[in-house]
Amino acid sequence: MKKNILAALLCGAVMVASFAGCAQKTAGQSSAGSSGKAAVSEAGGGSKNVVIWDYFETDAQKEMMQKLISGFNSSQKEYKASHVYVPFADYQKQLTLAKASNQLPDLVILDGCSMASFISMGLFQDVSDAGIKWDDYIEGPMKSTMMDGKHYGIPFATNCTALLYNKDLFDKASVKYPDENTTWDEFHAMAKKLTKNGVYGFGNAATNTDEGTFQCLQWIYTAGGSYTNVKAGADAFKLMQDMIKDGSWAKEAVNWTQSDVNNNFMAGNLAMEQNGPWQIPVIKKSAPQLKYGVTVLPKRNKDAKQATSILGGENIGVIKKDNSDGAVAFMKYYDKTDVMVEAMKAYGSFPPKTEAAKDSYWTGDPIQAAFIKQLSTSIPRGPSPQWPQYSTAIQNGVQQAMTGAKTPQQAAEDTQKAVDAIK
Amino acid sequence: MKKKTKKLRSGTYLGFAFTLPALVYMVIFIGIPIIQNILLSFKNVNVYTFADASQQKFIGFQNYAELFGAPDSILTKSIGNTLIFTVASIFFQFIIGFALALLFNKKFPGCNFFRGAIMVSWLLPVTVAGLLFKFIFARSGGIANQMLMALHFISQPLEWLLHPDSAMVAIVIANIWIGIPFNMMLILTGLTTVPEDIYESANLDGASWFQKLFYITIPMIKPAIISVLTLGFVYTFKVFDLVWVMTKGGPVNSTELVSTYAYRLSFEQFLFSKGAAAANVLFAILLCVGIFYLKTINSDEEM
Amino acid sequence: MKRERRQKIIFFVVGLVIFIIFLFPLYWMLVTALKTQVEIFEVPTPLWPRNLTLEAFQKQLSASSDTLRGFKNSLIISVGAMLIATVLSIPAAYGLARFRFKMKKAFILTFLITQMLPSTLVLTSLYIAFSGMQLLNNYFAPILADATIGLPFSVIILRSYFVSIPKELDEAAEIDGCGPLNSFFRIMLPIARPGVVVAAVFSFVYAWGDLIYGLTFMTDPTMRPITSSIYNYVQQYQTLWNSTMAFGIIAIFPVILIFIFMQKYIVSGLTNGAIKA
Repeated sequence: MKKNILAALLCGAVMVASFAGCAQKTAGQSSAGSSGKAAVSEAGGGSKNVVIWDYFETDAQKEMMQKLISGFNSSQKEYKASHVYVPFADYQKQLTLAKASNQLPDLVILDGCSMASFISMGLFQDVSDAGIKWDDYIEGPMKSTMMDGKHYGIPFATNCTALLYNKDLFDKASVKYPDENTTWDEFHAMAKKLTKNGVYGFGNAATNTDEGTFQCLQWIYTAGGSYTNVKAGADAFKLMQDMIKDGSWAKEAVNWTQSDVNNNFMAGNLAMEQNGPWQIPVIKKSAPQLKYGVTVLPKRNKDAKQATSILGGENIGVIKKDNSDGAVAFMKYYDKTDVMVEAMKAYGSFPPKTEAAKDSYWTGDPIQAAFIKQLSTSIPRGPSPQWPQYSTAIQNGVQQAMTGAKTPQQAAEDTQKAVDAIK
Repeated sequence: MKKKTKKLRSGTYLGFAFTLPALVYMVIFIGIPIIQNILLSFKNVNVYTFADASQQKFIGFQNYAELFGAPDSILTKSIGNTLIFTVASIFFQFIIGFALALLFNKKFPGCNFFRGAIMVSWLLPVTVAGLLFKFIFARSGGIANQMLMALHFISQPLEWLLHPDSAMVAIVIANIWIGIPFNMMLILTGLTTVPEDIYESANLDGASWFQKLFYITIPMIKPAIISVLTLGFVYTFKVFDLVWVMTKGGPVNSTELVSTYAYRLSFEQFLFSKGAAAANVLFAILLCVGIFYLKTINSDEEM
Repeated sequence: MKRERRQKIIFFVVGLVIFIIFLFPLYWMLVTALKTQVEIFEVPTPLWPRNLTLEAFQKQLSASSDTLRGFKNSLIISVGAMLIATVLSIPAAYGLARFRFKMKKAFILTFLITQMLPSTLVLTSLYIAFSGMQLLNNYFAPILADATIGLPFSVIILRSYFVSIPKELDEAAEIDGCGPLNSFFRIMLPIARPGVVVAAVFSFVYAWGDLIYGLTFMTDPTMRPITSSIYNYVQQYQTLWNSTMAFGIIAIFPVILIFIFMQKYIVSGLTNGAIKA
């Protein structure tokens, strides 16, 4: 009997709550997220809504978005921007579903390397004639917003990985710090010397996701290969396998994300790590007493150029809709150099415009300056609509070399075969 | 005689009527998506043809052929992995769950508390449980290795999730932990339908513990056992969240299940039709299991 | 007497040992939630935190309005799904257990079939359907979707439960002059109560633990269930382990409470037994 009463109460509660939820939503039905066929919908006061999707989750990033949005809203009266957070892990899926059902936002900030796929799926609007000075932008990031010569948005933030090293561990072992002249052989030797007492000389992220490719592809390019010509970079596989075998490169790398790597670096388990500028605020907060330096990644040999690094960062994409004026307005707002620079200072990444990146905020700080230096020889992943397949093939190969499942030569050849099979 | 025929006639429509609402619900919300999925697998929808409906054509079994025919076919490997994962999980989950059900069917101080506490592992959202075990099985810093080394079972830390050979073991252990309460609960419910008097008369006859188990308990709860095993198989075969969180199918595809592979194809590589094809392979395998289940309950019907 | 008492003590000890082994991961979860991020990565990591910190919990509870809202959403969705699943599954299970009709086997197979696809792949079709029905960002979307998880399961479990109730009861009821509907409500249902409770509990828990439907169908973060908060801690660049573990503990806390409360009913239902001789 008691159970029946309980059941009835719960029943009642659900009814009430769901009707309340229903009512709430029918009121808001006209705003955010409604069908792409309708024109940009109205909000209060006559200004039109611009809905922005992003996956920014740290406090610093959220603050940055908030500032951008309020700045945009107060700079003009015609449009009102708002943003929706979609978790990074779900982002591509949500975009795909949104496109499939025509439930689209107006503007999307997304990972640069996935933009090509979505351009191909018809998600984005051609904005080549929106009046933006395209030449102001750094070439690498700009390429990832384009396809067949047309522009579909602008880069938002750009960054790359570089080499971080623990000064205390180096001093204790009397090893010279790495710098822009360090070659692969010297790098291997110093890592080996620093590997003792539970400390690895070097570690990076080699998990079997695009995050792993993001870090490991760098070595393939520095060895002379590319994402379509993996075989030419076979030396990278050899370096990885050799270093893991003698313990100077952490075995756990195959399961580490960049965050795991940094956590280990901060705990003093790694003498060197490959990571990006977003870790700078993390280190400042969680390990403020850590004495570390940053330099470019080691080059192939004495005569080689500076090592290549892989570009990360986000792009702004304007969604293809009947009326995308609001989104274009936001894009032009961000295109303003001072807006861009302020946002990037808050974000912890770098502005994608050549001049903006020369701001003393970055060039004046040795740690930031090292990243900017690395940025000059950084290239985007792809760009290709089939980048995910390339990424999978390449990372599989890297993992096979790292776990010793195949010889470096075999791994390189098999990866090349897999890459060639991608039409 | 008369009674039975009367029941049969009214039974036809009545049984139908009782069952219909639930059936209609499932057909609408799941049945239709399943059919759409099947149709999708026969087309060529991918990142290039997604936007343009006119480019999407029927290509028959080509997707299936390509997935199975690829050198080192990941699909084939994933089917093998899924079978290993499922059989290993069910085997241990069932036996341990059964043993626990027998134990908690008795009355002793604390039995309610212990039984309730064991259910907690199943109340935990699977993603959290997956992360917890990923953390426990970390090569350095993971408590599993730490304890094994402290107890001198091993001298070097085990690779667990990092090595293709041991990753499967780790995810199976995690899945067993999550699945034991489910088995225990259902078998326990079944055990309560066995009346006490049967055991009492068996005791009077001098039956041993072993005989009671195999000649009374198991036959009497056979429908419950078959349901638990079948459902367990179906649910475990399509597990996704746990593996995705722990290994994403790696390292080197050693824990790639059909479900993770299908997800990867659809939502990471934008090969939607291929993803649908992989999902259908999973579906087809489970369909056979379902038919097998039907055959077994057939014989039970004539009770 | 003495033998019985010794048996009870043995059982108690066995139960205790199993309890400790089985619940160790949960203990570990609690301990990790109380450590600092740096201490978690120490090798070897202590079994009990040296610098016990409530920081992770504080962070969760300081965003208490978010947490409470997440619970409210989860509760609405889970109860809704449980009600739909239970209300529809009981008659269906009864129909499949007690009657013979032509399509019966096909029906049972259909229920099984609907559980054979992972939810991630049914997602696309459901999303498009719900968006067409204007049900996105509405509690009904995840409620309807989560009910599809609990419903077939409840049908199959309850069916085997109904099957094991002896036919004599049916016949006794008929002798008393009950029509089939009457006998269903007055006699079968109360007897099947433990099975019904189990089915309802399972449906609730599955809906509570669901992440993907709640997350995908609600783009509005204020309507998402508590499980989606995990993304606050499993981020693009890092996993905050202590916060993730603290979140896990907080997320199941209400469910544990409900469970403890319901255990009394489950137990009383079980001890009353299904069959009265």
